[in-house]
Amino acid sequence: MKKEDTVKLISAEGFEFVVDKEAAMVSQTIHNMLTSPGSFSERQHGEVTFPEISTTILEKICQYFYWHLQFASGKETEFPIEPELTLELMMAANYLHT
Amino acid sequence: MSYLGESREMSNHMDLVTLCVETACESRQSVDKWRRQRRSLERLPSPLADALLRRLLSRRLLYPSLLEVFKYCAEEINVRGENSVDAEWMAYLGAFRHLRYLNVGGCHRITSSALWAITGMTSLQELNLSRCSKINDAAIKHILSLTNLEKLHVAETGVTAEGVKLLASLRALSVLDLGGLPVNDVALNSLQVLKKLQSLDLWGSQISNEGSAILNMFPKLSHLNLAMTSVTRLPNLLTLECLNMSNCTIESVLKDGKAPLAKLVLSGTAFLNEADALLHLNTSFLSLLDVSNSCLHNFFFLSKMKVIEHLNLSSCMIGDDSIEIVALIGVNLKSLNLNGTRVSSAGVGILAGHVSSLEILSLSETPIDDAAISYIGTMPSLKAVDLSHTVIKGFMHQEETQLDAPLSLTALQDLKQLERLNLEHTLISDGALCPLSSFQQLRHISLKSTSLADISLDFLSTIPKLTSLSICDAILTNYGLETFKPPATLKSIDLSGCWLLTRDAILSFCRIHPQIEVRHELSTEVPDDRNRPNRPTSSRLTSRSVQGTKKKEITAVSPSFIDQRVKYTRDELLALQSMSLVPASDDERDPGSV
Repeated sequence: MKKEDTVKLISAEGFEFVVDKEAAMVSQTIHNMLTSPGSFSERQHGEVTFPEISTTILEKICQYFYWHLQFASGKETEFPIEPELTLELMMAANYLHT
Repeated sequence: MSYLGESREMSNHMDLVTLCVETACESRQSVDKWRRQRRSLERLPSPLADALLRRLLSRRLLYPSLLEVFKYCAEEINVRGENSVDAEWMAYLGAFRHLRYLNVGGCHRITSSALWAITGMTSLQELNLSRCSKINDAAIKHILSLTNLEKLHVAETGVTAEGVKLLASLRALSVLDLGGLPVNDVALNSLQVLKKLQSLDLWGSQISNEGSAILNMFPKLSHLNLAMTSVTRLPNLLTLECLNMSNCTIESVLKDGKAPLAKLVLSGTAFLNEADALLHLNTSFLSLLDVSNSCLHNFFFLSKMKVIEHLNLSSCMIGDDSIEIVALIGVNLKSLNLNGTRVSSAGVGILAGHVSSLEILSLSETPIDDAAISYIGTMPSLKAVDLSHTVIKGFMHQEETQLDAPLSLTALQDLKQLERLNLEHTLISDGALCPLSSFQQLRHISLKSTSLADISLDFLSTIPKLTSLSICDAILTNYGLETFKPPATLKSIDLSGCWLLTRDAILSFCRIHPQIEVRHELSTEVPDDRNRPNRPTSSRLTSRSVQGTKKKEITAVSPSFIDQRVKYTRDELLALQSMSLVPASDDERDPGSV
C-alpha cells in the first residue's frame, strides 16, 4: 500500500488509524480536507487529528467507512452498532458528514 | 450542526447517523443503554436530538420521564395526535431550555391548566394546540407569557372571542390559526395591532363584511382563510397570496386586481354576480385555483389565468363547450381535476395537444368512453390518471367487445412516466388489461370490478415496478392467488371484496410473501408500519426513505385529486383545504428537511 493512497486518522487519545484514502473519503468532511485547494496541513501530511473523537468511536467510524464501500458495491450486510455507542457515534458521524 | 436537510443525505445510502438513530431506538433495552449518558446528551446537537425524539415517538418508546434527558438539547417536539400526552408530559417539556417548537395538536388530554408548565418559555416560537378540546380561555393567560411566540394554532379549541381578543399582546405573531373559533368583528378589531401577521385563519368564524374591512390593517397579510363565513366582500389586500373562501357567497373580492394571488380556493362557493366576481382578479401569479362544487356556469374568467398549474373544476357545470378555455391555458397545467363534470371524450380530445406538462388528470364520474384513452395517451407528462366510475371498457369500439377488437389501454403505453392508474368501477374486463403488463413506470393500480377473474393477475404480475395493487370485488379464486407471481417490488395488495378467497389461501399468500401487506376481510393482520424497524419512516433520511417520502407525497396528493369526495366528508375536506393555505404549518412540515 503506497503512502499516498492512505490517510492517518488520529483520535483524541492519540491512537492512529491508517486507512485507505478511498475509505476515509466516505466522510464528506475528510474528503473536503483532503481535496480542497489551499494548504490544509491535512492534505500535505495525509494526517487528520480529531481531538473530540475517542479511540473507540474512531475505530467504529473506520469500520463504517469500509462497510459503506462494501454496501455501496452491492454487498448488503448489517452494520452492527452497540447501543451504548449510539450517542457518541451519532455526533461523530454528524461532524464527519458520513 | 449542518446536519439534516442537505443534499448530501440524498446520495448516501445508509448514513451512519440514521443507523445510530435506528439502533438507539431499537427497543426499551437499547434506550436504557444510552439514557444515562448525561454528558453526551447535553452536548447532542439539536437536530440529532430532535431526530432521536421523533424516532422514539414513532417506535412508541417515548414516555414522560424519558423526555427529561433531552431537556438541554431538544428544540422541537411534535407529539401531534398522541393520546397519551397529558399534563405530566407538559411538566417535563416545561423544563426544556431551548424548546422552539411545540406541537401538541389533537392531544385530547391537554387541558388549559396543563399549559401552566410552559409559562414563561421565551424560547418558544411556535405552539400548536389545535383540536385540543379541553383548551379554553383559561389557557390564554399562560399563552400570553410566551412573549416570543411567532406562530400560534388554537383552531377547534374551546377558546372564545374574549380569549382571542387577549392575543393582541403577542406582538411577534406572524401566523395565527383561529379556525373554527367563534371570532367576531370586535375580537378581530382588537387583533389589528398585530402588524407582523402574515397568515390568518378564520374559517367558520362569525366575521362579517364589516369585520373583513379590518383585514386592511395587517400590512403583511399573505394567507387568509375565511371559508364558511358570511363574508361576501373583501377589501383590497395588497399582499394577499393565498385566499380560501370556500362555502362562502362572494359578492366582490379584491376588485382592484392588485393582490399577487398564487392560490385561490373557492370550493362550494356561490357567486352573487358570477360574470364579474373573478374577472378583476390579478391572475399573473395564480398557480392554483379550486372552484370545485361551485355553481359557476361561465368559465370565461379562466382564460386570464396564463400561469395556472393546478386547476380543480370537479363537480362544476363545465362541459365540452367550455373545455377549450382550459386548453388555451393548459401549457403550464400540472394537475387538472374534472371529476363529476360533463366533459366527455370529445372534451378530452380538445385538451390533447395543449397540456404537455400535465401530470395528474382526474376524470372520474364523467361521461367519457374508450375514445378518451387514446387522447390521454398523447399527454406526455402524465403520472397519474383517474378513470374510475366511467363506462370505459378497454376496447376501442364500444359496440364490439370481441377479443380481436383493439385494446384501448394500449394507447397509454406511450406515457413513459405513468405511475398511477385508477380503473375502479369501470367496465374493464380481464382481456382488456393485457396492455398493462408492459407499463414500465406503473407503480400503483386500482381495479374494482365484479367481472375480473384470475387471468387479470397474470397481466399484472409482469409490471416491473408495481408497488401497490388494488383489485377489489373481483372473482379471484384460491388457485389464482396461489399461482400469482407478484412483481418483486410489490409492497401491498388490496383484495377486499374478493369473496371467493378463503382465509387459508390468504394466510398462505402472506406466508410466502411476507414483504407484501395484504388487505382482505379475512386477513386479521393489522400491519403497523410505525413499529417496523426496517421500514423507512417519513421522518428519516436514507435515500431509501427519501424515495419513500416522495412516494408518500404522491399518495398524499393523489387521493385528494382522485377520491376526495369518497374519502372525506365535506367538513374534513374544508379543513384540509384550510391547511394547505397555511404556509409551513405543522401538517406540511417535513421533519426530514428541518
